[in-house]
Amino acid sequence: MIDVRFDHVSKVYRIARPDLAKGSRVSKLLNRHVEDFWAVRDVTFEVRRGETIGIVGHNGAGKSTLLKLLSRITVPTNGEIVLTGTVAALIEVGSGFHPELTGRENIFLSGSILGMRRREIAEKLDRIISFSGVGAFIDTPVKRYSSGMYVRLGFAIAAHLEPDILLVDEVLSVGDAAFQVQCHQRLNELRRSGTTMLFVSHDLTSIEQLCDRVILMHQGRLVANGAPHEVVKEYQRMAAAAVPEMPSPLARPDGSGRARIADVEFLDESVVTTRSARTGGAIVCRVIYEVAEPVDDGAIELFFYSRDGRTLYSQCTTALSGGTLRLDPGHGALEFVIPELGLQPGIYSLGALIRHRLSPESLDWFYRASLLFVEPGKTVRGYFYEPHHWRVVADPPEAAAAGLNALHHRRPHV
Amino acid sequence: MAVLEARPGGVHTRQLVIRPANSGWTGVTTHLRDLTGYTDLLFTLSAHRISVRYRQTALGIAWAVLQPLLMMLIFTGVFSVLVRMPSDGLPYALFAYTALLPWNFFATALTNGTSSLVGHTQLITRVYFPREILPLTYVIAAAFDFAIGCIVLIGLMAWYNVAITPHVWQLIPIVLVLTAWSFALAMIFSAAQVRWRDVGMAVPLLVQLWMFASPVIYPLSAVPPTWRSWYLLNPMAGIIASFRDVLLHGRLLDPVPITYSALISASALVGSYLVFKRAEATMADVV
Repeated sequence: MIDVRFDHVSKVYRIARPDLAKGSRVSKLLNRHVEDFWAVRDVTFEVRRGETIGIVGHNGAGKSTLLKLLSRITVPTNGEIVLTGTVAALIEVGSGFHPELTGRENIFLSGSILGMRRREIAEKLDRIISFSGVGAFIDTPVKRYSSGMYVRLGFAIAAHLEPDILLVDEVLSVGDAAFQVQCHQRLNELRRSGTTMLFVSHDLTSIEQLCDRVILMHQGRLVANGAPHEVVKEYQRMAAAAVPEMPSPLARPDGSGRARIADVEFLDESVVTTRSARTGGAIVCRVIYEVAEPVDDGAIELFFYSRDGRTLYSQCTTALSGGTLRLDPGHGALEFVIPELGLQPGIYSLGALIRHRLSPESLDWFYRASLLFVEPGKTVRGYFYEPHHWRVVADPPEAAAAGLNALHHRRPHV
Repeated sequence: MAVLEARPGGVHTRQLVIRPANSGWTGVTTHLRDLTGYTDLLFTLSAHRISVRYRQTALGIAWAVLQPLLMMLIFTGVFSVLVRMPSDGLPYALFAYTALLPWNFFATALTNGTSSLVGHTQLITRVYFPREILPLTYVIAAAFDFAIGCIVLIGLMAWYNVAITPHVWQLIPIVLVLTAWSFALAMIFSAAQVRWRDVGMAVPLLVQLWMFASPVIYPLSAVPPTWRSWYLLNPMAGIIASFRDVLLHGRLLDPVPITYSALISASALVGSYLVFKRAEATMADVV
């Protein structure tokens, strides 16, 4: 049974460009220059009952427009969408709250905005309240809520919808870690009960784990539709190609051709080349170089850049034990071994530089050339993951022990 | 394909086809059936509108009574004490209050209804529901204030010894016409405001001007007979004059003014609904 069918669907947004309008100010008001923007162009696909579909693509690729069309927020310009069953979007509905109303009243208000019947809401009220974790404040006007409570209550309502087709748009970033776990559990519950799901997310790991099939959108068009692993790989390949080449004034500066960096690649734990790593996971960065004339006292430096081109950190071989790096003619490789990766999930680029150890002038600079996709591994909050381990102190220092003893002595007998 | 399939929880599945927006009659039955699926939302939203309005006010619901009463006092002061305004031989306070009830219904429904879509941008861009529910809830909230005001009116009539006659049932069609007209205008103005925010600026002015073009502070009999048929093109004229006639004069309804109002209101309601639903298709894109 087909739950969702997109049949050559397109959506055009007309964007006013007053800056391009011709004529006087008055005629500009009347004859607005309008440009067409195809948010979704000739998209055709089907979703079977009970399937979970992931939608991936860059920002502005048309993912959210697909969901807006599905949830009837906006209407297609061409084509036809056939839905079999009720549709609901899992969105954080706190924006539909009335600040003067209490949490309980807002549950009824938001619930009915999302298409629930009053009776249905009344039945689920206790579960919604306990899911949200705002129990004690449920009869307080929501204007007195903290923003966290606001979001959790809004999400709790949406999470208790029981549609045939559920749309999930990047909501799993809502709330703290504990709440996210709760949300994931709820999604799995719905999935097991046979709800058809469409996911939009940038979290490729979740997409790969949760979805039966993945759709890749690019500039409004559907460019791939298939097994999650394949499509995610395709997306990563596209993302890599989309990063603009940044011509560096320092690139190939020496021109002597004595040595050059050929490539920077990544190896996973089983020594297979990869593009992705996980936060807290092991990864090896291999710098491959070619040397024409020997360099006795060479150095290779590895740079990690954020997507917007900021240098996050760099490491140089001058810190190598032994100090000197002999670069002999021919091909060579150097590995930078990271036992536990500290980077947060995201896309990073790496560059490498080859030079004489004592000279600041580089022989070759391989600038922002290799992309590394870091996926969520060890969940961390903050800016980076710190490799670490915890240790229980078996023999507490004496001072502390003495303090504890003193406490024991003071305590009356039981 | 199963068209109606029962599911646990009483939710029915049926096929829904989403196509590009089309104008004309074809979609109207679908739209109306869609709307009936959202009666719970309409009820909840209207109830909250009413309850929220007077929350955190010291006087609370008394404002529903105070607003027309204070306006009545002001009008009586100006048009009965300072200026002598004809009032068909009725006590001016009662004369003015009776007209202020339907007038305030219309004015509040129009003012609040116009901004209803723009005021709920967050909802419109995130959730689907038939958008006409938003202006409609403000019409219902205005009807609630109107009902409270009517209770006070009964008290006033007793005070001035004006009897309620058996003809009072005729208020039902009058109130229906009033509701239809208010809803029609709230729909078209709110849809227009989504595209042109100018509407929000113009409406308060329009409402003030409109009051002077309606028999609120003066009787319909003050309008020269030659102008009468033009004057009655304003549906509020027929509504207010008839409302006053039935209640204060206990007369059988003069069919001409209210028929004007009913015809104009009915066609406005149909036209405005068609335009509204047409505009609805792109509301989330424009708002």
